[in-house]
Amino acid sequence: MRRREFAVLIGPSLLVMLGLLVFPLIRTVQWSFQQVSYGSPGVFVGLSNYTQALSDPRFGRAVFFTLLLTGIVTALILLVGYLVAVGVNGLGRLRPYVLGSMLVAYVLPGVVGAVSFSWLFDSNFGGVLNLVIERLTGQEFLWFTDTWPNRVMIIAHTVWHLLPFSVLMILAGLQGVPKELREAATIDGASAWKMHLYVIIPTMRGIVGFVCLITIMDVLRTFDSLIPLSPQADAIGNESIMFYVFDNAFRDGSQRLGLGSAVNVLSIVIILICLFPFIRDLLKEAKAKA
Amino acid sequence: MMRYRTHLRTGLTAMVITATLVGATACGAGSRTGADDATAVDCDYTAPESETTVNVLAYNSSAIDPFTNTMVKSCTRDEVTLKHDPIDFSGQVTKTTATLAGDSGSYDIIETYGFAVPEIASAGSIVPLDDYVTEYGEKYELDALDEGMRSALSFDGKLYALPMQAQMYVMAYRQDVFDELGLTPPKTFEDMIAAAEAIREQGDIEYPIALPMNATADVSTIYQAAMNSTGTDFLDAGTPQFSSDGSREALEGLRSLLPYMDPQVTTFDQPKVQQQMFNGTAAMSIMFSGRMNDLTLDTNSKLSEEFAFAAPPSLDAEAPYLFSRLSVDGWAIPENTKLDKDMLFQMIASSVGEDASKASVPAAYPAREGIVTEESSKYAVAANETIAATMPAPNDPASAPVTNAIRPVLVQVLTGQTDVEAGMQEMQRLAEETVAAK
Repeated sequence: MRRREFAVLIGPSLLVMLGLLVFPLIRTVQWSFQQVSYGSPGVFVGLSNYTQALSDPRFGRAVFFTLLLTGIVTALILLVGYLVAVGVNGLGRLRPYVLGSMLVAYVLPGVVGAVSFSWLFDSNFGGVLNLVIERLTGQEFLWFTDTWPNRVMIIAHTVWHLLPFSVLMILAGLQGVPKELREAATIDGASAWKMHLYVIIPTMRGIVGFVCLITIMDVLRTFDSLIPLSPQADAIGNESIMFYVFDNAFRDGSQRLGLGSAVNVLSIVIILICLFPFIRDLLKEAKAKA
Repeated sequence: MMRYRTHLRTGLTAMVITATLVGATACGAGSRTGADDATAVDCDYTAPESETTVNVLAYNSSAIDPFTNTMVKSCTRDEVTLKHDPIDFSGQVTKTTATLAGDSGSYDIIETYGFAVPEIASAGSIVPLDDYVTEYGEKYELDALDEGMRSALSFDGKLYALPMQAQMYVMAYRQDVFDELGLTPPKTFEDMIAAAEAIREQGDIEYPIALPMNATADVSTIYQAAMNSTGTDFLDAGTPQFSSDGSREALEGLRSLLPYMDPQVTTFDQPKVQQQMFNGTAAMSIMFSGRMNDLTLDTNSKLSEEFAFAAPPSLDAEAPYLFSRLSVDGWAIPENTKLDKDMLFQMIASSVGEDASKASVPAAYPAREGIVTEESSKYAVAANETIAATMPAPNDPASAPVTNAIRPVLVQVLTGQTDVEAGMQEMQRLAEETVAAK
């Protein structure tokens, strides 16, 4: 490929990336050291925004909750996603329809799905699941105002929303496992359990890593679903980092864009730390293939 | 691999169909602007020579839409287009802050309200309208706009927004339940508790009282309404009043109602309170008057015929005012608009005329006097009674930031995580810090 041809092909993507990724990132880092209001140039305040964020117990609670949510949801997505994918893989002609209907949860706008999901637990709007759980346990749960019941509801919604993607990916991985490998394992007398643990899962390690990567990124960015699912998130310790940023930087005409930017920079660091093992593995795999 | 591609294709087809359906539904839901059935009025301004677009920022609600739609429909001409995109209240608040900052903004006419006016007026972000009112008062009969509502949209003696409509608290209650138990609409919080106990004892309704106390917004309005009932407000000439006796009475009064409200009340906004009434899980509720029309519609609830309306109670028998807030909406002109401000004023003046005001009833309570009569709606009498006994809304540029600052502590006090005395001191400290930083 000629140099000019290469430049023409890559140019538009490069421009979009510079405009939508690199420039906002540079501006975010710059603002994180400034006090910024709309329409006026920022004033340099050194590390003040970082000090304010790091000394705010509310930010600490938001980080704890976000990491807790990420850990639990990622584990559940991998486990349930694998089991569902194995089940769907065994379906016959029904498979495309099951897959298609599952995708509804994934393509629904986040806040629409979250509102519908919240109604399952809200007795004002029927609250079917709330009713079933109350009948089964004989206990009344305050899903929106008690910390742990609310966390369970948020986790359940996040898993419901993100599960179809992981199922689709793992299903693709399952279908990529060579038949010969399975046959050889069967001849060697491997049980179904051992077949999955020692043959199938190691073969699709790359896909599992990719699912983890995407799920962690998605969950760390949790924001809009909390508006209907946790209306008093801050008061009960179920506020996500992104919700904290919105509340400080924008809500009710607030203009603390410097503080919001500082928290965003800290979030990027947290995300990179969480993703480091997966990015390293993916790079290693790519190098090995090259 | 071939089979997988087939699955993927089928799945993607389902995804596209679903997304299209969702998108189509969303578009339909938001298109409330420039309604064909909007009232047409005279909008007699001098049009500019070049093609002009006037961008209007106003949130969508059944109370505001009649005024916005009248303006868009009546003032649009061949060479002048009024553009209004659907938006919710929260979006309007954020966009107002953004458009008023700097030398140029995205909007030429903005909807605003009494609580926000002092802050943006003191910053010089919106223009005083007194000279225009003097010039065009007779033409658009602006003298008929309620004096109290004009005062609520004034700052430092100048009018900064032209009032279109106001909202005040109104109590909705179940007439059938009250009649059966021989109850009358409560006049004080104590009466309200007595009524709630009687209703609860009857056995059908466990949580008879419903108030919008959502922790992220409504709760501070409820607290302010309770303070107003005692004659105090968040700020008195710029000085925070959270450690005052009025504040203590308000907090204790609200906490005394909590056992009779749904345990998750701090997550309830006004639509959820409406839903409690629709479902019959509450027997009395207090909300802004703009929410009352929904209760009268039989399409919303089979109980619509059973709802009656009254002025809200006072905190106690000695309280000088009712448990209420007066929230006045109006049109303002940003200082940074590049368009002719004379033209913009005539547009907003035409939209608050008599015809548009009449068309807004019963969803709204128009600023134009004499429009709301006893026959206007089932809650008109209650609204008129309330507005006469609501504490005049004092204006202060620090009100909005102070409210944001104290809200988390207020929630802790009302949910029992912090005791009243400690909460009052903490709110006072936060408010003083916020005022000092202004």
